[in-house]
Amino acid sequence: MGSFQKAPHVKSVFADRKAAIILLGPALVIYVVVMLVPVLSSLGYTFYTGSPINGFRFTGFDNITRLFHDKDVWSSLGFTLRYALVVSVLQIALGYLLSLFYLFVLKRLSTLVRTLVFFPVVLPTVAVGLLFQRLFAIVPQNGIVNSVVGFFGGDALSWFNDAGTAFWVIVIMDLWRSMGFYGVLLYAGLLDIPDDIIESAKLDGASGIGLIRHIVLPLSLPVLLSSIIFSVNGTLKVFDSVLALTNGGPGNGTTPLTLYMFQTAFSYGDYGYGSTIAFLLTVICLVVTVFIFRSSRRDLTKG
Amino acid sequence: MTTASRRRVSRRLIPVLAVAGATLLALSACGTGAGAGTGNGKFTYLHVTEDPATPAIIKELAGNECTAENKSLPYDDQTIAQAQLDQKVQLLAGQKALPTMFSAGGAPAVTQSLDKAGSLVDVDAALTKLGVADNVLPAAKSTIKALYGGNDIALPYQFNIEGFWYNKKIFTANGLTVPTTWDELVADAKVLNGAGVQPFATGASGQGWPITRLISGYAFREIGPSAMADIRDGTSKLTDPAYVKAAQAVADLGAKGYLGKAPEAVDYNTIISDFLTGKAGIMYMGSWVLPNFADTTANKIGADNIGFFPFPTVPGGKGSIDQLPANIGVPTALSKSAYTDRVGAWTKCIAKNFGSAALKKSGQISGFKVNTPVTTDALTTLVQDKIASTKTSVVWFETYFSPKASTTSWNNIASLVDGKMSADDFMKLVQADQ
Amino acid sequence: MTTTAFTDIRPIPKRIVHPSRVIAKVASIVAIVVLLVIEVYPLFWLIMSSFKTQDEFLNAAAWSLPSTFDLSNYYDALVTANIGRNILNSVIATVPSLALIILFGTAAGFALEVLVFRGRGAILLTFLAGIMIPGQMILLPLFNAYFQIGITGTLWPLIITYTATGMPLTVFMMATYFRAIPREVFEASTIDGASMLRSFFSIGFPMVRNAVFTVALVQFFFIWNDLLIAITFTSSSDTATVQVGLLNFTGQYGATRFGPLLAAICVNVIGILIIYLFLNQRIMRGLAAGSVKG
Repeated sequence: MGSFQKAPHVKSVFADRKAAIILLGPALVIYVVVMLVPVLSSLGYTFYTGSPINGFRFTGFDNITRLFHDKDVWSSLGFTLRYALVVSVLQIALGYLLSLFYLFVLKRLSTLVRTLVFFPVVLPTVAVGLLFQRLFAIVPQNGIVNSVVGFFGGDALSWFNDAGTAFWVIVIMDLWRSMGFYGVLLYAGLLDIPDDIIESAKLDGASGIGLIRHIVLPLSLPVLLSSIIFSVNGTLKVFDSVLALTNGGPGNGTTPLTLYMFQTAFSYGDYGYGSTIAFLLTVICLVVTVFIFRSSRRDLTKG
Repeated sequence: MTTASRRRVSRRLIPVLAVAGATLLALSACGTGAGAGTGNGKFTYLHVTEDPATPAIIKELAGNECTAENKSLPYDDQTIAQAQLDQKVQLLAGQKALPTMFSAGGAPAVTQSLDKAGSLVDVDAALTKLGVADNVLPAAKSTIKALYGGNDIALPYQFNIEGFWYNKKIFTANGLTVPTTWDELVADAKVLNGAGVQPFATGASGQGWPITRLISGYAFREIGPSAMADIRDGTSKLTDPAYVKAAQAVADLGAKGYLGKAPEAVDYNTIISDFLTGKAGIMYMGSWVLPNFADTTANKIGADNIGFFPFPTVPGGKGSIDQLPANIGVPTALSKSAYTDRVGAWTKCIAKNFGSAALKKSGQISGFKVNTPVTTDALTTLVQDKIASTKTSVVWFETYFSPKASTTSWNNIASLVDGKMSADDFMKLVQADQ
Repeated sequence: MTTTAFTDIRPIPKRIVHPSRVIAKVASIVAIVVLLVIEVYPLFWLIMSSFKTQDEFLNAAAWSLPSTFDLSNYYDALVTANIGRNILNSVIATVPSLALIILFGTAAGFALEVLVFRGRGAILLTFLAGIMIPGQMILLPLFNAYFQIGITGTLWPLIITYTATGMPLTVFMMATYFRAIPREVFEASTIDGASMLRSFFSIGFPMVRNAVFTVALVQFFFIWNDLLIAITFTSSSDTATVQVGLLNFTGQYGATRFGPLLAAICVNVIGILIIYLFLNQRIMRGLAAGSVKG
């Protein structure tokens, strides 16, 4: 913002108030009415306890205090952050590798591969959950994963009975599902890099890792940024993959904040406290996004 | 691409988008059904997708015995997944828009809070006023009262008892007799395990109740029929020695491998399949499983080969073997604000005809009197006899728990039978969420 | 450093085949095969399993083939569970929301990045905040509002909610894309006498066409795969979307009818695949034209 204020006459052309209202108006109105207002009204419930059935009772800051003493909140927050970090990093890394692979190795023949690898993202979560339960099964028969483990002389594992292994199954499932998606997203960004820049860099002797590090990576920063925001946005709010695969168990070992919020508000009948948990999640998301946004803005204006 | 061609594209694209949008917006308005609200001139039944049998029976009544009622107030069917039921019921209750008849919450706690808020019809009073109160079996009535805080607020579309089903052939082949005490049960399990047969078909994947109900079963025999009500009333705690002993007894079954290789990974389908393929010798289950037994493609061991025994007694325990756990499935309630004379007419017709229609159509045993005799198979008759002879019924482990404690119980039971968590810790964890 | 120079050199490394090149080639083929097996096998499993009976699904090995290819599961899915109606509902809910998201979102992105007015930084940040709002948070107030205006039981709540929830990300991404376009492009158009409004429709929108398809693709899958919003605002089977419809295959006490469920999933997936192939072609054609480079 503010990068082109040096030419006053330009500013006057772009300062078209009528156009701004017409173009921005509809999006802003829908967004404010259907999202912001409900969020604010939900925030109001933070000061109440109760449910739509029993009515609400004002409790002041009790919910906030409770939040800080609720060990379930902290364990689900821990899960959410761990999951978001691991999955976002791997998602972007694998997606980027795939996009480089499409661009430099497969070149024009990549359409079919791209389509096939992209495909899992269109599968309904219910289906993917079912599939991975079968892949990692121990009963009634060993699934493929346990068969492979057995082939290498290991003992078959009950993957879903331990929060640690269950975490990794969820991670693998989400990576499997989203890797192709990020591959295509980032590939589209790489295609925007002019060919002659890459070719001339090759002529200058850049190749392999060096070419990618010094030429391709800086030029694909904008699309990388979109992908990161995208990915963090999805992983911090993970809900249905967990629901489909582990339902939050064993114990609450794989319960993310979203699921805990949903359970509290709707199953445990405390909408007020549920809103408080959602508020916590919103604040975390906000901090993370603003952080990414700020650092990217700096990079972009420099680069 | 030149600017001119770009311009052409955009000129084409924008009207297309606009027209497509407008058309579909208009189309979407056509897909309107009536809202789930009251006074829409329909007999709306919001039920869980997980129970397709009950609405099918009512639909059949609408076309036969209850044609007149259906004409004046047409039947309308809405479904919701059980996992989302509590949310939906709360949202509708918040708008005072509960459907005429609906599945009133997955956990009894939700049903009771609806009742406390004055949203539900007193079924007993309504049926008495309609002159059809005697169509509800006394056992069903007392079960409903036991489940929902002494109030009769549910229609007993299902009436289930629970206990152990066993494979007669496997029992004979291993020289086993039907156990009447817990020690005999464990001894039988030991023999089966030694013979390479999995003793119990059970599991906790997705839902933990198939195992947690063994804990309450034991506790009822040890402490007596008030065992779980004492927890609700606060006169006892799950951490008291008698309750921990029950959890320990179940944990021991797991430790010895009697519950199968990895019960945490076994889901409901697999439990039934393990039993019906002869892989396991015994299964704890409710009588809602009877249609599975009658399904000849799934049932490889044959219905004649299946026997039933109630939860055995515990030495020195205060409970008796004829106190069977009973329930009515997901409770179906009537909304007070939607209850009109025409709804009353429907209710009357259902009360008179549901019992025989359910039995005839899908072999479903309900808490309504069977007014037209229906020939039933041997197992159904056996369950009906058991119901008729049961004087005191008991509940299941999570009946009186807060929803949070129920979740905790279900999600941690695998760790208990797996040895990852001690009986003491398990009960402490569940008690803490009470 | 012209491309002609480059093409002149190119044949030389082609003639001398380095051993390292062979290794690289083999390695990349292996990589492709592994990738495809990992990504495609599950799909094969899905299709095979959709023909299996409940008994085969539970008692035969997971990778075994079905004994017969009879279509009873598909019959169940299409007729008994009415998956066709669900697909129609999903389309009716998705297409208008997608059109509105794209139209309004792109316009807003343009306004926020290209136009100059007071408070645009703040507005952009407000939209950005919206990306991070958990969907669970807006359900209760929205349900109450929709109920009050009497549109529950229709597909309107879905269309409205999807349009709103898709807006923040779209606005943000579009703003990012517009940032990459030099302002002189728009400036030139205004010198021709066009207003900024016209310059958006005639220049701005076409220039980010590829981005529009990318965002549309992304939003399409968000909306199509949504369960949370769909299940909150639909109750009768008349308005159930595909994801809601898939829940119909679970039975009471936790039983699942696997065959019909997987058949329904396959029907859904094949439909979506057709849409994807269509969109994918559009994207690739657009990308090949290379118009964003401006």
